[in-house]
Amino acid sequence: MVDTEAQIIENKNIVLDYFLLKLKLAKTMGKIMPGQFIMLKIPGNEVFLRRPFSIYDYDKDILTVMYKVVGKGTEILSKTSKDNSAFVLGPLGNGFRVNKRDVYLTVAGGIGIAGIHFLIKTLKEKASVFFGCSSNIETTLLKDITHLNPMISTLDGSYGYKGNVVEMLTNYLETVENVDQELFICGPEGMLKSLKASINKSKISCQALVEERMACGLGLCFGCVKKTIDENEPYKRVCKEGPVFDLWEISL
Amino acid sequence: MGNIPLELFGKTLKNPVMNASGTLGYGKEIEPLWGVETLGCYVTKGLSMKPHHGNPLPRIWEEKCGMINSIGLQNIGIERFFREYFPFFKRKKTPVIVNFFGFTEDEYIGCAEMIKPDKQIVALEMNLSCPNIKKGGIGFGKEAETVYEIVKNVKTVTKIPLLAKLTPEVKNIVEIAVAAFEAGVDGLTLINTIPAAVVDVNKRTVPIKGGLSGPIARSVALRAVYECSKAVPIPIIGVGGIMDVRDALAFLMAGAQAVQVGTATFLDPYTIPKIIMELREYLDVNNYADVKNIIGITHDQ
Repeated sequence: MVDTEAQIIENKNIVLDYFLLKLKLAKTMGKIMPGQFIMLKIPGNEVFLRRPFSIYDYDKDILTVMYKVVGKGTEILSKTSKDNSAFVLGPLGNGFRVNKRDVYLTVAGGIGIAGIHFLIKTLKEKASVFFGCSSNIETTLLKDITHLNPMISTLDGSYGYKGNVVEMLTNYLETVENVDQELFICGPEGMLKSLKASINKSKISCQALVEERMACGLGLCFGCVKKTIDENEPYKRVCKEGPVFDLWEISL
Repeated sequence: MGNIPLELFGKTLKNPVMNASGTLGYGKEIEPLWGVETLGCYVTKGLSMKPHHGNPLPRIWEEKCGMINSIGLQNIGIERFFREYFPFFKRKKTPVIVNFFGFTEDEYIGCAEMIKPDKQIVALEMNLSCPNIKKGGIGFGKEAETVYEIVKNVKTVTKIPLLAKLTPEVKNIVEIAVAAFEAGVDGLTLINTIPAAVVDVNKRTVPIKGGLSGPIARSVALRAVYECSKAVPIPIIGVGGIMDVRDALAFLMAGAQAVQVGTATFLDPYTIPKIIMELREYLDVNNYADVKNIIGITHDQ
């Protein structure tokens, strides 16, 4: 883990409110597990706390983050120009554990692709990709993984399956039986909740990457907890014990 | 280089810089970046007799120049802390201040009884002020008589020096400081977070009520340190919005013997080691042989 200075080498709008931010790090972060995250600070702007972002891609000293403008912090970030300096603390948290399986099903809803993209790149052809979004416009987000033939659902039916990604995935799971498989999922809480309900009988292994408002990213403040089913430890830190949790251990 | 060791309650601390309770986890979390032995003293997360789970989300909110937290004192309890974490501080020869709280007066007394004296323990820091505990907590720190009573009772059950951490949410903090002093407290930690709330104008709700910290709290804390340090002859530890060495110096000059750094660590996890290094540099450049020489220097005006 390092806290290193970085240079913004690209900060471009991909489509709608989605942006891709490329940072050149002054120091390498070393080995990264897919699903880990960074805390980002842009000196001089009015954002007080650092902001957490999933690692979308990483190669030597180039770190890529995909983000969606959702609040004040990301709005200011979207207007930050190339060549600005930044501070990057990472890699942080526990990422996805890739256990030996026959099939790896990766599932992302909207900006959830930012959290799961690096895992897909690591798994390469072994990954089955399920992606859910609002309309065909967002399918642009998958352009560097189209060779993996992602299964896409759109809420408006403008591309692929019409409906949400959990429905599409559930239909798919019904067509395959007795397969040694593991799910990796990242998306809004409602999506995790409906997935959990729909696979409640089969209890397929599932690792879920969750997001939460954070202050430190290091486990210092206990601000970013997730409710769990463990009565002795009902709140676990997203930044320290997560951000990837066993879906069956968290309370949604 | 200027000398920055500090004598506090008969123990020698390497320097006068500590973390604020609850802002450095259980200590081990910062180890990938720097070691707790860097600190003058590690202040524990607020501990209770039994583990406490804390508040539901949201627990934090960003404000201009600060943040609001409502963690609700989630902690593993005194017994587990001493079993699982205290040996780590012993190994690292890092002095510890044990911050504790209760929901009733009996629980405060129970906590103080559970913590046995140890050469590594500098003091107990009694949280008389967390705004995030619903059942009492803040009530104990708001009235001079209540402070007097609880301090006196806790003092009878422990031989460890006792610090009282006070809330700024009182009519006159000097009165509370004097009451604590008269009850036998050995030092004060000033101040805790400032009670605050957020209104979500779009949703027309109050998403969080909690304690405000960060630079926005600094001037409030400085006034409390300045006035209380003139009013009572016991060590005061200053805390509130310390972001860099200039802020730390301001607290020392206002009369604090030591300082605690909280929110700044979230923005830059190296804030504490930087302040320690730059404090040494400041003393050197300004020809102060000892940090003692600047403590309370503003009182001479």
